[in-house]
Amino acid sequence: MLRIFLQRCLSAIPVLFLVVLFTFILIRLAPGGPFDDERAVPPQVLENLNKRYHLDDPIHVQFFDYVKHLLQGDFGPSFKYPSRTVTEVIYAGIPVTLELSLYAFLVALVFGITSGVIASLKPNTLQDYVPMSAAMIGICLPSFVLGPLLILVFGIQLDWLPVSGWGVTPGDKILPSITLGAGYAAYLARLSRGGMLETLSQDYIRTARAKGLSGWRVVFHHALRGALAPVVSFAGPAVAGLLSGSFVVETIYQIPGLGRFYLQAAFNRDYTMILGMTILFAFLIIICNLLADLLLLWLNPKLRGRK
Amino acid sequence: MSTEAVDFDLNRLEKGRSLWQDAFSRLKKNTLAMGGLVFLLLLIVLAVLTPWIAPYSYEEQNLMLGATPPSAEHWFGTDIFGRDQLTRILYGSRISLMVGFIATAVALCIGVTWGTIAGYIGGRVDALMMRFVDILYALPFTIFIILLTVVFGRSMLLLFLAIGAVEWLTMARIVRGQVMAIKHQEFIEAAVAMGMSRPRIMFKHVAPNVLGPIIIYTTLTIPSVILLESFLSFLGLGIQAPQSSWGSLISYGVETMEEYPWLLIFPALTLSMTLFALNFLGDGLRDALDPRVSKD
Repeated sequence: MLRIFLQRCLSAIPVLFLVVLFTFILIRLAPGGPFDDERAVPPQVLENLNKRYHLDDPIHVQFFDYVKHLLQGDFGPSFKYPSRTVTEVIYAGIPVTLELSLYAFLVALVFGITSGVIASLKPNTLQDYVPMSAAMIGICLPSFVLGPLLILVFGIQLDWLPVSGWGVTPGDKILPSITLGAGYAAYLARLSRGGMLETLSQDYIRTARAKGLSGWRVVFHHALRGALAPVVSFAGPAVAGLLSGSFVVETIYQIPGLGRFYLQAAFNRDYTMILGMTILFAFLIIICNLLADLLLLWLNPKLRGRK
Repeated sequence: MSTEAVDFDLNRLEKGRSLWQDAFSRLKKNTLAMGGLVFLLLLIVLAVLTPWIAPYSYEEQNLMLGATPPSAEHWFGTDIFGRDQLTRILYGSRISLMVGFIATAVALCIGVTWGTIAGYIGGRVDALMMRFVDILYALPFTIFIILLTVVFGRSMLLLFLAIGAVEWLTMARIVRGQVMAIKHQEFIEAAVAMGMSRPRIMFKHVAPNVLGPIIIYTTLTIPSVILLESFLSFLGLGIQAPQSSWGSLISYGVETMEEYPWLLIFPALTLSMTLFALNFLGDGLRDALDPRVSKD
């Protein structure tokens, strides 16, 4: 068991390395140097700048320098704002984005699994149709539509909740978390309904019922555990989606998180910033996929036999 | 033994029904899916005919008019430059649908080829090819697409290719699974025995038999592609002005939603209804083509 865990963890390392290499090369391929500006820079200044950022070294030297600094948690200087480093920006943004993603994930888990289980208990009745229709709406309303709608209704018309900022006014975390989590709640509802329906038709559930166990005990103790496998394998990609979804939500609600900084860097063509943040996002997502993988192994011993 | 004459009337025989006829008759009973299909066909016709039927020009500005709520002349109202919103949504649907179909076609080609080859050859080749898919799966693609638009500038072609390159992964997995299930059946063995070449077997005999799942997944890929394009355009990284896609229209709408809510509501409604239609159709097709998984 431990061996498989370690094996999986080790196999993530080359992937991470490839991500760094690929991103690094892509950024270097970008047309125009980082110091191309509207006003012409004197060649002497340009040379000094190149020296300061080690851009005059051969490319493989630059790459290994970059990796060496990465391993020490240093993402290098920002090209556009010489006064701050990429690392500073990342440290400022990451708690906000992670908190937002966490709340959204909780929203998705709680609403998604609850409504999926409720729907699966009485298939093809009103109890099934109402939550599943809601889930369909959740899938077809992207966050950049749902967010503005929530702002219009709860922020402006009813004036119940603040519509911008993060942790500034009480309650300003509610709407962003719902906006980001709703779509995933919808997917989870469909997945857990499907999983439950499949599990509930299995022999061991019939045995449990025949033994006279109460309906709720069968659902929670026996069925739910088996039904959650598809939910867990969806959780890894879901976190990836939440992180990139935070781009939109942070823009709509003006939240100072990583997504917003990333977009700013993209518009400013701040290459080191983009490079650092892409690697960070890739790292987070690979870690989340790894965790979901390990959780799945732990939940389902049958998978452990396979390589 | 004498063979008795059997009263054999060809006309009285029940006509055999192919899998496809069967599936279509099941699909016809699904009102939601048929509604989705009709809506989509209508939208496609409108999008194709837009240059001839659009009531106004999509870029001509009428600053004197400004933003007006929906009226008899402008059904969906006008934006702050006095441009007719119905026209802009119609032109936007050309872009959104085009991205949807072309990027899905790219994903379809790569995914089906990849999955068929991996599934049919099997063994080490399969392990290697699917490991590659696993690795790509773990990457933050939305972020890479943003990175690509930063590096190479914002072009439609890039958008098509990038989105297509993301979406083929699931297709490859699905096709591979199906091919593995099919390749040991007798008709494939027969083809091998007849000395057919490998590529010919793969694409002539194996791939067509995987068509059902491919069709289902294609219908479900189109909405996610349209969504991805709108997402990028919403962030300002996709389609550029004066062209409009649903995503960029929604993003303009959001900026002014307090004063001119119709600028948000109409494009948002169009996008959501298209996504509804495609998802209903996809679900309906799944139920129709694969009766085993349909409705419990």
